[in-house]
Amino acid sequence: MLSRRTFLEIAAASGLAAHLGCSVGPPAKKRKKLAIIASIWKYLSHAQHFGDRFLVGYPRKGRWHHPEMDVVSLYVHQKPEGDQSQARADEFGFQVYPTIREALRCGGDKLAVDAVLLIIEHGDYPRNAKGQVLYPRYEFFRQVVEVFEQDGRAVPVFNDKHLSYDTAKAKKMVADSKRLGFPLLAGSSLPVTWRIPAIEFPLDCVIEEALMVGVGSSDASDYHALEAMQCMVERRRGGESGVKSVQLIQGDAVWKAGEEGRWSKRLLEAALSRSNKLLGDTLIDARPQDLANNGQLPKIVKEPAAYFIEHADGLQSTLLMLNGGVQDRTFAAKLQGEPEPQSLLFQLPPIPNVTYSACLAEKIEEMIETGEAPFPAERTLIVSGILDHCLESKVQGNRKLETPELQISYRPPEGSHFCRA
Amino acid sequence: MSRAPLPGLSRRKFLSAAPLTAAGGMAAAVPSRKRPRIAAVVSEYRRYSHAQHIVDRFLWGYGWGNRHHRPPMDVVSVYVDQTPENTLIHDRMRRFPKMKKYPTIAEALTQGGSRLAVDGVLLIGEHGKYPKNEKGQTLYPRYEWFKEITRVFRDSGRSVPVFNDKHLSWKWEWAKEMVDISRELDFAFLAGSSVPVTPRLPSIDMPLGVEIEEALCLAVGGMDGYDIHALEGLQCMVERRRGGETGAASIHGLKGDPVFQAMNAGSWEAGGWDPELFQACLCRSHSLTPSREGFNHVLPSLEEVPKLIPERTPVAYRFEYLDGLKGTILLMEGLVMDFTFAARLKGGEVISTQMFLPPREVCNFFNPQCHHVEQMFLTGKAGYPVERTLLTTGLTAAGVESVWQGQKRLDTPHLDIRYQPTQESTFWRS
Repeated sequence: MLSRRTFLEIAAASGLAAHLGCSVGPPAKKRKKLAIIASIWKYLSHAQHFGDRFLVGYPRKGRWHHPEMDVVSLYVHQKPEGDQSQARADEFGFQVYPTIREALRCGGDKLAVDAVLLIIEHGDYPRNAKGQVLYPRYEFFRQVVEVFEQDGRAVPVFNDKHLSYDTAKAKKMVADSKRLGFPLLAGSSLPVTWRIPAIEFPLDCVIEEALMVGVGSSDASDYHALEAMQCMVERRRGGESGVKSVQLIQGDAVWKAGEEGRWSKRLLEAALSRSNKLLGDTLIDARPQDLANNGQLPKIVKEPAAYFIEHADGLQSTLLMLNGGVQDRTFAAKLQGEPEPQSLLFQLPPIPNVTYSACLAEKIEEMIETGEAPFPAERTLIVSGILDHCLESKVQGNRKLETPELQISYRPPEGSHFCRA
Repeated sequence: MSRAPLPGLSRRKFLSAAPLTAAGGMAAAVPSRKRPRIAAVVSEYRRYSHAQHIVDRFLWGYGWGNRHHRPPMDVVSVYVDQTPENTLIHDRMRRFPKMKKYPTIAEALTQGGSRLAVDGVLLIGEHGKYPKNEKGQTLYPRYEWFKEITRVFRDSGRSVPVFNDKHLSWKWEWAKEMVDISRELDFAFLAGSSVPVTPRLPSIDMPLGVEIEEALCLAVGGMDGYDIHALEGLQCMVERRRGGETGAASIHGLKGDPVFQAMNAGSWEAGGWDPELFQACLCRSHSLTPSREGFNHVLPSLEEVPKLIPERTPVAYRFEYLDGLKGTILLMEGLVMDFTFAARLKGGEVISTQMFLPPREVCNFFNPQCHHVEQMFLTGKAGYPVERTLLTTGLTAAGVESVWQGQKRLDTPHLDIRYQPTQESTFWRS
């Protein structure tokens, strides 16, 4: 196997590869070339709304921004009814290739793009017993890495959503990026979307307890909520220390755990004070509600779930999935030295614009332009692992599971990366 | 303290006759009183009416300060002008028995007695069935109710803070009189839309004291309803410019195809507005109707904009301020469903934001507005100047008038309203 150093030397020697492209660009400023590897491309699929940002532009800091880069090749795994891949290719002048390898090489014999967007979300894929959709992210990523290895050059990769449903495979993905020295950006839009209020925790704050309220299905929406919580708690003193154990509980046990103080009702009140979509009695007559304390939640949330995460440094963070109670995603944490908890709403602007994907597109572009991922893939790795193990806990009778595989420590980015300008 | 009505009372005499208002409000004047008593004077109390959103927050509480906040005051009386079949007033009285319904405004304010017996008044004359005039203005009786409220103040020799929801009156002269009376009787008077105080995306305010050349607010909705919201959204930003507010000199109301002609004019000087400000607003919107099928988010060209407004009834008010600032509000139902703002500062820089209105189910943009009303009831001081709403009320009436007179530009010498903005930002950002 190539060491990183050897690989970089080979890459430098074969510098010509960098000038191979699918089309002849303007000689003055070389525009970067992108390959998109997608599960499906139809209206409102992730590939469509992320991919289109690179074709038609997107709003950025109050202007319509056109990325100075071109999508030159596309691979789509499935072409369901409503497939737009060929229509987009025809209109925007790129090729749809039958294999990932060919897409990366633009039909030639060497890697011919400057970045790869791996958008394997939506499409028809089976689920396993844990309820995980078996999206072939790892498998497709491996094919990308094989081209990098064969052609002696690696380029930045964006992986939409979690890395793989399987922790071991997810770990290999991050390990490959380190081994070959290419930047890997991954994850959900929630960490980078608008926040109300627009707050970020100071680096190295001491977090006493954290709670996230999520809604939606597993294993799509619980993943988003876990990553939203992780981008907040990773800023604590010492950075992320890894996860010792996880447990997923369901049903009445969730409310009982609240009564016993396993999760904080005060934090739930703080989180729900940010919700703009309360359900239950609010649907009857639009009344505001103290949903954390008025006794309604057990009546309207039919299938509650709590995801308990015990971090190596002792932090307890909890995700409550409250379908039927609310329809948005909020977070609260108690910081040491602060008299009251802090809380916020992760604002997900509605369809069709879903402008949160513009926030993430900006970060993808930043990685492609600078050659550095603005925030660490370890965040998404640990969240992928937390989710995988929580769902394992679920099928093992809601048992607490030790998670030695999740001894993943990392430092958060210095700066803030959510949309606020 | 029984006293006959004193209709001709001067402000000085009124104050001397009413020592309780010396600090501008009951809470400050009577520290022994435990919880302020609030009267609500409302048009109708049903799901999604403004009265429901606002009074409900005083009854049930609302999300504020990282908790479910319960205002430390009691709504003790309510006057409800109309009770349609779906009224919630009886439900709310049953749940909140401290709140009693009275058949007249005077009785609500006196709690059935002979003297003012509350410490603050909510005046919510929005929604309900009221006639429209030939210009399309709904004749909400805000002025008439305000007069009844202040008659009780006069009769009691005491005044308390008043909140007036939305614009002051559909009629300029009456709006002016309302503000004059609040000064004469020396009570805190807060008014207007929730748009100025709602969260912003991004969370920015106009820097205090900057020079602004042109400003634009792009919004949803129609005339005599949403024009005031857009005007308030624009005004709360531009009032922070160098020198503070100077008042408006003229207004030109446009409706229908002339709006599109103005849009294509290319500049204010050519009869339109700065296209870059328009584009900035489109870029701050989170509800831009896609101009191309199969695309979820594309920037429409100016040629495509009219196709996205199928009713073809866009509205524009272009107005000039006395210090030369240019302002435009655009109501483009069909193109967007939110409120966005952009301004060009002297030197060319464009700043822009969205004034975020959370979805209708809970309408949490009322939270920061209720917070300010609550603070006024507690401190006896309005958190932002009522002159803002006096000016936007005047611009609304003048804009309607301009359209009514055949889309004719009108001078507005009566709108020479000068005031200073608050030093601190007042929108929800914590």
